[in-house]
Amino acid sequence: MRRLSRLALLPLLVVLGVVTLGSADTEARYNDLGHKMMCVCGCSEILIECNHVGCPDSDRMLGELKAAIASGDTNDAVLEAFQEKYGPTVLAAPLLTRFNIVAWVVPPTVLVLGLAGTFMLVKKWRLRTVAMPAVADDPASVELRARIRKETEL
Amino acid sequence: MPAFGSFSLLIALVLSGYNLLAGAVALRQLATGRRGWISPEKLAETARRAGIASFFTTACAAFALVWAAFTNDFSVAYITEHSNRALPAAYKFAALWSGQEGSLLLWAFLLSAYGFVLRVRHKVDVKLTAYASTILAGIQVFFLLLVNVAATPFSLVTGAIPADGNGLNPLLQYPEMVIHPPMLYLGYVGFSVPFAFALGALMMRYPGEKWIHITRRWTMVTWLFLTVGIFLGMHWAYSVLGWGGYWGWDPVENASVMPWLTGTAFLHSVMMQEKRGMMKSWNVWLIFSTFMLAILGTLLTRSGLVSSVHAFAQSAIGTWFWVFLVIVLAVCLFTYVLNRDHLKTEHKLESLVSRESSFLFNNLVLLAACFTVLWGTLFPVLSEYVQGNRVTVSAPFYNRVAVPIGVFLLFLTGIGPLLAWRSTSMRSIRKNFVLPGIVGLLVAIAIIPLGVHPWTIFTTDEQGGFYAWITFAMAAAVITAIFAEFWRGGKVIQQKSGQNLLTSMVQLTRRNTRRYGGYIVHFGIVLIFIGISGQAFNQSHEQTMNYKQSFMLGPYTIECLDYSQDSNPNYDTEFALLNVYRGGHLVTQLSPELRVYAASQQPSTIVANHSTLAWDLYVIYAGKDPGTGQPVIKAFLNPLVAWIWIGLIVTIIGTGIALAPNLSAAIAAQRHRAVVAPEVVAAGKAGD
Amino acid sequence: MTTLACGLLMIGAFFYVFWPERNVEAQHSKTRLEYLRERREVLYDNLRDLNFEYRSGKYPEEDYAAQRATLENEAAETVAEIELLESDAFAPQHS
Repeated sequence: MRRLSRLALLPLLVVLGVVTLGSADTEARYNDLGHKMMCVCGCSEILIECNHVGCPDSDRMLGELKAAIASGDTNDAVLEAFQEKYGPTVLAAPLLTRFNIVAWVVPPTVLVLGLAGTFMLVKKWRLRTVAMPAVADDPASVELRARIRKETEL
Repeated sequence: MPAFGSFSLLIALVLSGYNLLAGAVALRQLATGRRGWISPEKLAETARRAGIASFFTTACAAFALVWAAFTNDFSVAYITEHSNRALPAAYKFAALWSGQEGSLLLWAFLLSAYGFVLRVRHKVDVKLTAYASTILAGIQVFFLLLVNVAATPFSLVTGAIPADGNGLNPLLQYPEMVIHPPMLYLGYVGFSVPFAFALGALMMRYPGEKWIHITRRWTMVTWLFLTVGIFLGMHWAYSVLGWGGYWGWDPVENASVMPWLTGTAFLHSVMMQEKRGMMKSWNVWLIFSTFMLAILGTLLTRSGLVSSVHAFAQSAIGTWFWVFLVIVLAVCLFTYVLNRDHLKTEHKLESLVSRESSFLFNNLVLLAACFTVLWGTLFPVLSEYVQGNRVTVSAPFYNRVAVPIGVFLLFLTGIGPLLAWRSTSMRSIRKNFVLPGIVGLLVAIAIIPLGVHPWTIFTTDEQGGFYAWITFAMAAAVITAIFAEFWRGGKVIQQKSGQNLLTSMVQLTRRNTRRYGGYIVHFGIVLIFIGISGQAFNQSHEQTMNYKQSFMLGPYTIECLDYSQDSNPNYDTEFALLNVYRGGHLVTQLSPELRVYAASQQPSTIVANHSTLAWDLYVIYAGKDPGTGQPVIKAFLNPLVAWIWIGLIVTIIGTGIALAPNLSAAIAAQRHRAVVAPEVVAAGKAGD
Repeated sequence: MTTLACGLLMIGAFFYVFWPERNVEAQHSKTRLEYLRERREVLYDNLRDLNFEYRSGKYPEEDYAAQRATLENEAAETVAEIELLESDAFAPQHS
């Protein structure tokens, strides 16, 4: 009986193998898109990572995502369809549209401006050369300096 | 007991108010030379004592709340909401910080505890401490007002006293949750102390830079608490929330990381002021901002301004924080404008290539990182204001924007220590960069066959591989640079003392604990970077499992041995027993659980994790298949996660070393004595 | 019971705060001498650091000499003033 069931499993495995082979790309897209959206139940978690027991939304949404990928929609189309249905908060990060571009552009701009500013500041503060200071050579001063050198040597 | 708690809080408020008022009057009198009917010194002394007494009264209040939790005093509304009879003792203790009111009380208590230490140790610098103590009293007044008026922890329940409480949120019933919040609060609250010193030093126009020396340990200890708090939070998220990760870029997490970033910048840039007297205004504003960011973080998470998984009841408390933040900013601005001439310095750098300029860039990058996090946290609010709809700014945004900044920071971590103060010779740069450069390059090449493929950034949307590749290579270079620095320093000591290299390196560290402790902290941070990069190679698999069924994940085969359920007064549980094989051998047995807590009826996953240096096999019980009743098992293979926790331990050790006093100070003192008694020198040298 | 505890707490706090203290710690401003001693420590530390980093090969000879001379000059000025003030210990100068 067990043997039989094992034999019966074989074609299933083959079929599974073929399906997964073809779906390697689908699986990756599912994973990728699942990370680009949020669960809408209010848990503030990434859709594919939402692990509430009995979450009212994530299973259904993931099902929709699977269906959308299976129907051959492009990534952008899927994201837009979800945005249409659930509102813009469903996307885990804003798309590059209208005002949302600002979200992406500002931090790097600040960094680059800051870098440029720091460079200019360093240049401004920089002394051209380190001049050898004039050394007083009265005996008291010489003795003092010798003492300091002795006290600060390693 | 609740009445005693309320009363203690009231007394604490009065005492802190007196400390603030009397302290301010006394300092004013001392500054202007005008005398009242009591000598200002005596007045200041009573203010200081009021501050010390406020610690004891706040402690009484905190004790009263914990006592109420332990004695199941459900007449207190807070205890009803956050505890129940079946709750284990340790978590009853944690009830102190599991809700809004209690955590504010904890905040007030920790603040008064820091204040206590500061006021008791006032002989370090009586005048400066008097200023700092008065400023700290101002902050205490705010928090005590909160717990006395806005969020009272001892309010009584209306109507009949319930027989049992609602229990503690099950997510918080985990050992780390007993340590994580106090650590984090110790970090947040602790920045009040350097803040108070900085503001005080500016108000009194403190001559010299000694105040930085006085606050240095405070800042380091605070930084350590915040670091440990953040990482314990990560570890808790990883082990309890059960989504396979440890950092979700949630607003509350962001709120903790912002003061950490500015605080780190402050720790670095004060060295410029101590050594060279530079960047005084900058440092003052850095610590002001750090303190304000700590307050802002609290505001963000408690006002409901941004949505977060960290459930604090959204309440009107936000307004209080807004007002406080505005007052703090106004006081800082006013003091700065009034005394800014005191901070004027002549900035000069001998060279572009120096430790000084590396600190400047490090500060810039840390601040840019902080800005990015702040920007991402607040952008939803901004978006709602500008385009009328909220957007979500979560992990994908930070992965794209913050990760490159992090990589740049890692790069600076490597370069900074190789540069000398003032200027570094080109020859030495070439010499010191060659070895780390080669090691980095070799690692970059060596890891490609292991599956780290940087080119995926060009072929797919996935950037993780590329950043992981850069991070691994750079981490190798930075670690080499750090060890080379120890080695070089050790050599110098060795030449001098003739000891072996290892002893010399230990000697080296003891002579300049701050620098070499700092390098060890860098090493820890690099390890953390390595651990985080492992994320790019996470794998997962989810499957419904019957007896003897198995699946493969990475090198492991996971087989279901059994599944069952159980129950006790605190919770009901379902669990699976899994055998984990690798190469045909049994490696371990894992038992992921799903608990439903009786009091709150909330489910909670108990993760089973098999952690090795290479990867974690992280298994959760995701639920029951509704058709068959078989368990749904979700398994993650998360590479290198253990390095994050190892890195944290190294960081703690490094900070501990940096906190220890220098041996060189002792040597200097010995030398000083030697001038007086030459025969001591000989003895000392022989002992060297 | 509660009233008693509250009363004790209040009275205790009151007495602790206002208990007349004879020897109050005086708040003095930092003297010039103290300031100079701090300054000397910093300069000495800088010099030790400089020596150390030179030994570990981070400076070329001429940079080292120039920077050491600058720091030593400054230290010498500071030490000279300290000694002047110390010899004049009966009338300490305030900053």
